[in-house]
Amino acid sequence: MRFLDLLRMSSTNLLRRKLRTVLTVLGVVIGTASIVVMVSLGLGLRKTTMDQIEQSGGLTTVNVYYYEYAVSSSGSSEEQTQRINDEVVEQMAQIPHVEVASPVLSTYVLVKQGAYEANFSIRGMTYEALQSLDIDVGEGQLPPDDGTLQFFYGNQTLTNFYNARTNQYYWDTMEAPDVDLMNDPVFVIFDMDAYSQSQYGGTDENGQRIAPPKKYIIPTAGIMAGTLDDYSDNSYNVLAEINALKAQLKKVFKNKAIPGQPTNSAGKPYKEFYYDEVYIRVDSMDHVSEVQQAIRDMGYETYSNAEWMEQTQNQMATIQLVLGGIGAVSLFVAAIGIANTMMMSIYERTKEIGIIKVLGCDLGDIRTMFLMEAGFIGFFGGLIGLILSFIISGVINLVAGEYYRGISYIPIWLVLVSMVFAVLVGMVAGFFPALRAMKLSPLAAIRNE
Amino acid sequence: MDKAREPVIQVKNLYKIFRVGSSKVRALNGVDLTIYRGEFCAIVGTSGSGKSTMLNMLAGLEKPTKGEVIVAGEHLENMSENQLVKFRREKVGFIFQSFNLLGTMNAVENVALPLMFRGIDKKTREEKASKMLDLVGLSKHKKHRPNEMSGGQQQRVGVARALVLDPEIIFADEPTGNLDSHTSEEVLKLMRKVVQEKNQTLVMVTHDNHLAGFADRIFHIIDGKIVKIEDRKDYKEEEQ
Repeated sequence: MRFLDLLRMSSTNLLRRKLRTVLTVLGVVIGTASIVVMVSLGLGLRKTTMDQIEQSGGLTTVNVYYYEYAVSSSGSSEEQTQRINDEVVEQMAQIPHVEVASPVLSTYVLVKQGAYEANFSIRGMTYEALQSLDIDVGEGQLPPDDGTLQFFYGNQTLTNFYNARTNQYYWDTMEAPDVDLMNDPVFVIFDMDAYSQSQYGGTDENGQRIAPPKKYIIPTAGIMAGTLDDYSDNSYNVLAEINALKAQLKKVFKNKAIPGQPTNSAGKPYKEFYYDEVYIRVDSMDHVSEVQQAIRDMGYETYSNAEWMEQTQNQMATIQLVLGGIGAVSLFVAAIGIANTMMMSIYERTKEIGIIKVLGCDLGDIRTMFLMEAGFIGFFGGLIGLILSFIISGVINLVAGEYYRGISYIPIWLVLVSMVFAVLVGMVAGFFPALRAMKLSPLAAIRNE
Repeated sequence: MDKAREPVIQVKNLYKIFRVGSSKVRALNGVDLTIYRGEFCAIVGTSGSGKSTMLNMLAGLEKPTKGEVIVAGEHLENMSENQLVKFRREKVGFIFQSFNLLGTMNAVENVALPLMFRGIDKKTREEKASKMLDLVGLSKHKKHRPNEMSGGQQQRVGVARALVLDPEIIFADEPTGNLDSHTSEEVLKLMRKVVQEKNQTLVMVTHDNHLAGFADRIFHIIDGKIVKIEDRKDYKEEEQ
């Protein structure tokens, strides 16, 4: 039999019992739509998460942390990991696949302009590391390497400012503070202890009131591109070139201990700086865990997006499996519906099948005819189900609002896979009925009056 | 006359035994017969005599318990179902008592059905079917569905469908069983006419001795055995 004739026969048969066909197709529509929508939610969740990870600073970054465990409980400092100094950072830079290794020197400061103040932790990094952060510069430039201390502000740093007169934060008013970091002078107080003591009327050991610490004007190198709502890895940070920052700190604190830096038993600072954090850039994502392991072996804590992403991916896979499973149940029910419809159809058409068998219709053709019918049900169910899915997905995204935009995401492969799956389900469900039709005894069939 | 007699159906020592509960029913009990090309044969018997079983065996619709069935040079008893279907498609035309037309198709489509199974394209097969309907005198009813036609008309469609393939052999199972006597004669005459023109072999099963009288030879079957073979050629010649 010609393929076209087979096609014609099976489609006529479907059209002959319209209501039943429509109902069966409806089952597949619901099954397909529920699978596609469920999976699309899983995929959308995954996609938004991935985008967020990507936004928040790449997948090749490793952050190394030093924690001071049980500082003074015992004198056996040998067992303890060495504090991170320049030498340790240099060792880390020697690890294979490490492209950039930079110490991160953090120091708390108060930034003032006009009536506005903000507390910041300045992150000092090497010039090379600053360049490797892939920062999108909006105004100005990254901090220069010429030894002058300049700050580079993240695009969301303005939200940290509060009005000292009204005591209102940005989050109270939702109005951008009237601060122009680029063009107006910015005053910075480094000695936070002295500042807070002077604020609350503290006295020194001689009983004298502590004078407010000196304010420094620190020029602004640049500001990151983006609005106050665009979050990224460094959008809340203030960055500086590390050597300039060190020089500034030494100048401010002279012989006193620099806050955050360890002191010897006499309370005096060491000559060199120690760091709590190291920024490391690895050449590719595949080597991140290798590098992380090497650093852990040195005794430091590490953190990377890549590591986190692996966990997230596993979680996402589980979520998708569960969601897809819920959808699959309804498609399974639809498959039973198809099988039932086909079975009914065969009972009804027993005589007809007998006639065409007696007239010499090939057994394979009979099977194909019934498989096609079942496949058609699957196909149209899948097609309409997909259209429905797109509508539902659109509605979900519309209702989900700004933050969750794209929570339901239907990629092309999902369209194709669900289509093939729907047809396949139809044909599998139709297989045994088709086999039954094929094996029907022609004699019994035509005798059936 | 005998020299042109080429056997087209040969049955040798054919048995068909059904099991009904614990007892055996011998539907066919050692049948031998030979039918020659171009013959119009009738198998006559009462109901339960085994005549329908006989026809089913000849058409490959039922497997014999024992014995040989050779139709158009092929042994049916050893064929698989697929081969039997192919054999029917290529060699055999069928006419049923209850017409067995497909209710969803009109006359032309019904007649064209066997051609479709052969893989002939729609245009060619419907042209051929149309000609066949002209031949059986249904030119005006080509687009009618079975339920829009009388019994006689439906059976003519059935005849056209059996003949459209140009089969070597045509089997007819009580072809006039559902028709009144007048229409029955018409249909039978039509069958005989067409078959004679094309030198086809026609095997008809009936319980009606009068209708069997249209045949060249009549096999009388009782309790699964052929009891009498009546040769009617001479009578007919006398009639004419």
